[in-house]
Amino acid sequence: MNATSPTVTPALEAGVRSGIGARVRQWLGAWLPALPLLALVSVALIGPGVVLVAQTFVDANGLTLDLWGRVLGQPVNQDAIVTSLALGICSATLTLVVGAPSAWLISRMLAGRRAFWLGLLNVAANFGGIGLAFAYLATLGSVGMLTLILQAIGLPFVPPRSSSFLALLMAYEYTNIPLFVLLTIPAMGIVRDDWWEAAQTASATRWQFWQRIGLPILSPFLVAGWLLIFTWSIGIYGIAYGLAGQSGGTAVHLITLQIGTALQSDILLGPARAAILAVVLMVIASASLITYRILLRRALRWF
Amino acid sequence: MTATTVTSVGETREPLRPARIGQAIMFVGLFTYFTLPMVAVFLYSIATRWTANILPDGYTLDWWVSAFTDQAVIGAFGSTLVLATLTAVLDIAVVVPAAYWSRVRNPRIRTIVELSAAIPFALPYLVIGFGLLQFSGIVAPALQGTFPLLVVGHAAIAFPFLYWAVDGAMAAAGIERLSEAAEACGGSPAQIVRRVVLPNIKPGVVTGGLLAFATSFGEFAMVQTIARGVYTVPIWSAEAIRSYSGESGAFNRLAAVTMVNFIVLFALSAAVVYFNRGQTVRLLPGARNIEQREQG
Repeated sequence: MNATSPTVTPALEAGVRSGIGARVRQWLGAWLPALPLLALVSVALIGPGVVLVAQTFVDANGLTLDLWGRVLGQPVNQDAIVTSLALGICSATLTLVVGAPSAWLISRMLAGRRAFWLGLLNVAANFGGIGLAFAYLATLGSVGMLTLILQAIGLPFVPPRSSSFLALLMAYEYTNIPLFVLLTIPAMGIVRDDWWEAAQTASATRWQFWQRIGLPILSPFLVAGWLLIFTWSIGIYGIAYGLAGQSGGTAVHLITLQIGTALQSDILLGPARAAILAVVLMVIASASLITYRILLRRALRWF
Repeated sequence: MTATTVTSVGETREPLRPARIGQAIMFVGLFTYFTLPMVAVFLYSIATRWTANILPDGYTLDWWVSAFTDQAVIGAFGSTLVLATLTAVLDIAVVVPAAYWSRVRNPRIRTIVELSAAIPFALPYLVIGFGLLQFSGIVAPALQGTFPLLVVGHAAIAFPFLYWAVDGAMAAAGIERLSEAAEACGGSPAQIVRRVVLPNIKPGVVTGGLLAFATSFGEFAMVQTIARGVYTVPIWSAEAIRSYSGESGAFNRLAAVTMVNFIVLFALSAAVVYFNRGQTVRLLPGARNIEQREQG
């Protein structure tokens, strides 16, 4: 696995033999097994990020902010950014409203039922992308199962257009809710059952307990989960591409869909436009994830 | 988690749970929401004609047969399997040594790796894929649009799953002490890795490998951006959805392919749960800390 003998520590080795060869060997002894992974990360994650950011500030004439002005000045791109943010916020909020009580209840279930729900959620969380887009069409498309059921019992039901904001929101929730629940269940263990007993002894109501004890304790984790779902939602491409598919130009504008279009129809600004929108996504996602990390660190300080 | 799931039995006080009826409605609703799309896809894959009634007019296996004798579908499944397998193998090959060395020799590796693992979590795969396309255009134009570049891309986005699984297994096995003991017994590094480290972290490697495989299996954005010529199952499905214009059978064949795709993912997540000994897969970066502190 490594050239350095495991019984000789790098420090000892350096003390015994000085010089550049020993330094190199010492360095290799410390880093060699990690080099393939670090190479993969630099080539496929860090390098691409740097190149993307650099591309948005360079055109044929050298350094410029011109590209940013032109791309962000286009109404379709502004619309895409606003819609993506709105979809992320709605999606994460709906996930929080449904997911937080579900996570709490599942965490308090007996082992057998809990295993069943965790299994179901695991399956749903894995069922994303194009497959989910099709499953949505098969359920709530114009000849989807639910559409047919509702029409057969006589309701004048017209499903939302598959490329509309509402349709995307419903499809996104299918993976978002399971992910949120799976992520927050460990945190639910922090609220001890004896605290509720203690609160009852002090004649607190259930509402008072949650308001004064439960939610303040859990809120950093719930907000962290919200941020994570928000970050992931604005970056979803497969589901949106599948659902926007059939209606082509009338689809809702999203940052990811705009990037895809800019890449495929290489007109006018082409890659530069895609790069700028990609950097916009990078900035939103990074800001969200940094906030998430800070929150989580604060939350963990008390335990 | 275990300590808190034990609810107090035989207490006269009211347990901390909301009204049962509201609870039941919510879980029935969630169950319907999660299972209905799966049922719809399954029924579509075996329906003769289904345009007006609650249930299909008749049932047939023709769509399954015609979908899985179609060269394009077989080819798509073939390349998806090869891609996902290579992704998992490459990830295992680069992650296990790094995780091991960060535990026994150089803790600074962990700092770097954990920071890097945050990148695929924050950035959309579409952005990473597009960046990789542009980067390879500068560094290695010959690789642009090729299968190997796609494997590298998938390995990069899937590696955190494997790293967390392997690192967790190493912590659980107490790999530092094990390898110290093995060194004291005079084992060579190769012997230690092969006969002590790997057998002890096998569940972690298998779990992580399955997660990497699953990540690659369903991935669409990167395949579409990086490698136009590579024809995977998600690409086939996306094209089938886009080109669908009401012709009979197209929707049903799509349902059959989606069903198989879904069964593969189901089997993978069942295997992950099995190898993980019933624990939930913790995707949340930082969630592991919650668990550790809670037990301590």
